[in-house]
Amino acid sequence: MNEADRTWRPLGFLLLMIGFGLRLDTAYQGLAWLFLLAGSVTAGAGLFLLAQRRRENAFVPPPGKG
Amino acid sequence: MPPTCRPGTAAVAALVIGIAIALALRGVAQTQLPGGPTDGDAPLLGARLRVWYRALLSPLENLLVEWNVHADALTYSQLVVSVLAGVAFWKGWIFLAGWLTILAGTLDVLDGGVARQGGTSGPRGALVDSLADRYAEFATFFGLGAFFRDSWVLGAVALACFGSFMVSYTRARAEGLGLGMKVGSVQRPERYVILGFGGWLDGLVSHLTCSFLDRSAHVVLTAAVVVLAALSTWTAWQRARHAARNLGEAAG
Repeated sequence: MNEADRTWRPLGFLLLMIGFGLRLDTAYQGLAWLFLLAGSVTAGAGLFLLAQRRRENAFVPPPGKG
Repeated sequence: MPPTCRPGTAAVAALVIGIAIALALRGVAQTQLPGGPTDGDAPLLGARLRVWYRALLSPLENLLVEWNVHADALTYSQLVVSVLAGVAFWKGWIFLAGWLTILAGTLDVLDGGVARQGGTSGPRGALVDSLADRYAEFATFFGLGAFFRDSWVLGAVALACFGSFMVSYTRARAEGLGLGMKVGSVQRPERYVILGFGGWLDGLVSHLTCSFLDRSAHVVLTAAVVVLAALSTWTAWQRARHAARNLGEAAG
């Protein structure tokens, strides 16, 4: 089973938090936006893959019913 | 001091964190536990939460093993991130410091897992990991102490640092005397969580309330440091009592 979403979502979340941290606390605003962008793309990809996996799993018949 | 007050950004961050916590709680609730009773000396973070976090990290662990990343690289990364967390605390970048502390804790979990899965675990790795952990903890506490240098909280930071080292030292000494030591309410993961959550929550609260409250109060972080100092001291005492009782029974 492809579980790539389980890698991308936490990684994206971490990148987002570092981005928010840089934006909130420091003067490195360019770097902050870079992290926020990377985090959004990564977490977004993870959520997309999760939705795709759930859609695929929804059509798998339960054991003994197939 | 932080450059500006940013309640809007803090609100967006709070929303993202809220969604992540909701998803995490769902995951924790669905986690299946291996059986086994817990007692009063069990760690504060329950077995369910630990099992869930390990499961959350397992795909990343598999990926790192697949890429032939050595566990030592993760150990040294943890040390670097802890130093960065210390620098962030020192500079007053509290929200960032909190998340860096949590990242350091995550790397600490990952290095052991990668070593076991990659077949590179052994006494040398265990020694390097333990030494790096102590330096990493000191780096973070040093930064925190520098941040609170003009406040009474510095005393609590010193006590938290000493307590944390005593927790590890008591275990090492007891294990050196042939005694297994798994008891203790506040072990390393708990310390990372208390300090990390205290940090990012303090940063968030101070930005959300900056338009009507003084940002220099740092009430949440202060509370986290005081709680950590008290619980680390308590855990060191719990371990010392456990070790003394068992060694006494073995001798008698």
